[in-house]
Amino acid sequence: MSTTAQDPFSLEGKRVLVTGASSGIGRQIAISCAQAGAQLAITGRSRERLEATAAELPGQGHTQIVADLTQSADMERVVAEAGVLNGVAHAAGISRLVPFRMLNQTHLDDIFASNTYAPMLLTKGLLAKKRIAPSGSVLWIASIASHVGPVASATYAASKAALLGAMRSLGREISKQGIRVNCIAPGYVRTPLLDGLQGSGGNMGDLLELAPLGLGEPEDVANATVFYLSDASRWITRTYFVLDGGLTIPMDIYA
Amino acid sequence: MSSPERSPFSLQGKTILVTGASSGLGRQAAITCAQRGARLVITGRDTARLQETYRQLPGDGHAQIKADLTQATDRDRLALAAGRIDGLLHCAGKQKLCPIRQLSEQIMTEVYAINFLAPVMLTQRLLQASAIAPGGSIVFLLSTAAHTGTAGVGPYSAMKAGLIGIIKCLALEVAKRKVRVNGISPSAVVTPIWDAGHLEDQKARHPLGLGMPEDVANAAVYFLSDASRWVTGTSLVMDGGAV
Repeated sequence: MSTTAQDPFSLEGKRVLVTGASSGIGRQIAISCAQAGAQLAITGRSRERLEATAAELPGQGHTQIVADLTQSADMERVVAEAGVLNGVAHAAGISRLVPFRMLNQTHLDDIFASNTYAPMLLTKGLLAKKRIAPSGSVLWIASIASHVGPVASATYAASKAALLGAMRSLGREISKQGIRVNCIAPGYVRTPLLDGLQGSGGNMGDLLELAPLGLGEPEDVANATVFYLSDASRWITRTYFVLDGGLTIPMDIYA
Repeated sequence: MSSPERSPFSLQGKTILVTGASSGLGRQAAITCAQRGARLVITGRDTARLQETYRQLPGDGHAQIKADLTQATDRDRLALAAGRIDGLLHCAGKQKLCPIRQLSEQIMTEVYAINFLAPVMLTQRLLQASAIAPGGSIVFLLSTAAHTGTAGVGPYSAMKAGLIGIIKCLALEVAKRKVRVNGISPSAVVTPIWDAGHLEDQKARHPLGLGMPEDVANAAVYFLSDASRWVTGTSLVMDGGAV
């Protein structure tokens, strides 16, 4: 059996920044990366919940940075304090159900600030300060919503779809340093964000039943993330990967 | 803590059937799966080369079964001999360059038999024999040719694209037993099917360089392990960022 040092799926010796680590998918990504041997820098808005995540991380040398990535001063602090990174997993994101006829500029600005501008600007900040080591891997969590188009989700779907195009272009610019960037597009996963949508009157029951393998768990997205941040995926860049329990198989989404 | 045996990417306790295991991607995938703890059933057409792969497998209890999967009798024999499997990795395939105007029915039939008929009908036999365990994983090795157009690659491209249709429909048919079905779509990987000149040409359009068989084998490990238990009906493009 190969030793840990030779295991291409190990994150031993890698430092990984996870945003949105205070809950849901980001929290599980942080835990799974630490279990795979990574040293973590985790960030989120709630100090209390970030500390709760930190308490669950096995291993040593992890750091936590309380920050609201829609604020430029906070963003700069994350760049300054994250350290030199081998991996970045951007899981922070928000969603609100708003019918299209109720759209307004504030709603668009809020959703895009969190879901689109934050991952783009944070990645730009890290690259500008040479905080991403050669052969590093950047992963943005997108969403199958961009393809499914759930009702009252135009802004959310658009904000996540924007990441796919940005990722394609960025990937070309950073391949010279051997840095990779990809998106994964999860379907419906058991998280507080999904609970919030259900609670606000979203009727997602039908969609959940449609997925042949049911609702996903945060671990499923976290395991895909470990693959994308590990050397096992060293030849994969400029792609997006759908993991959705089969939800979109009967839909015409070209993926 | 991060020992391969306990990681979600372990294949400990799983039996994996790999076709096309006598060379190239199939051989490396078999070796990598065995390194991660799987028991392998390997198949291929060439006795000597299959034996060489078998010799390189770490661990015990592996089996090798010589078969030409374009032949129904060989598929039947393999499906019966393989026993209960947790993973099925279709690597057998053959690239063929042929512009459509020079295509013959014989060439098209050959490309179809190896790249499409064989993996689909072997899967059918294994399902009929209830050989694929609940929670199992079926993986088809595709190609970026399944998604992109390249002059002269029409027949091969069509067969790989055809497998995407099989992947999606089969994924729905077997989901109730928690079996999942996916594809891996690599572009130019350094294997014996490509000559040096072709690989040199390909380098220019791959920002991260050409792929190695280990890269494809690692993607196969992801799909065959429990780490991907919620992933079905999809395909993973791996192409070094090809432009």
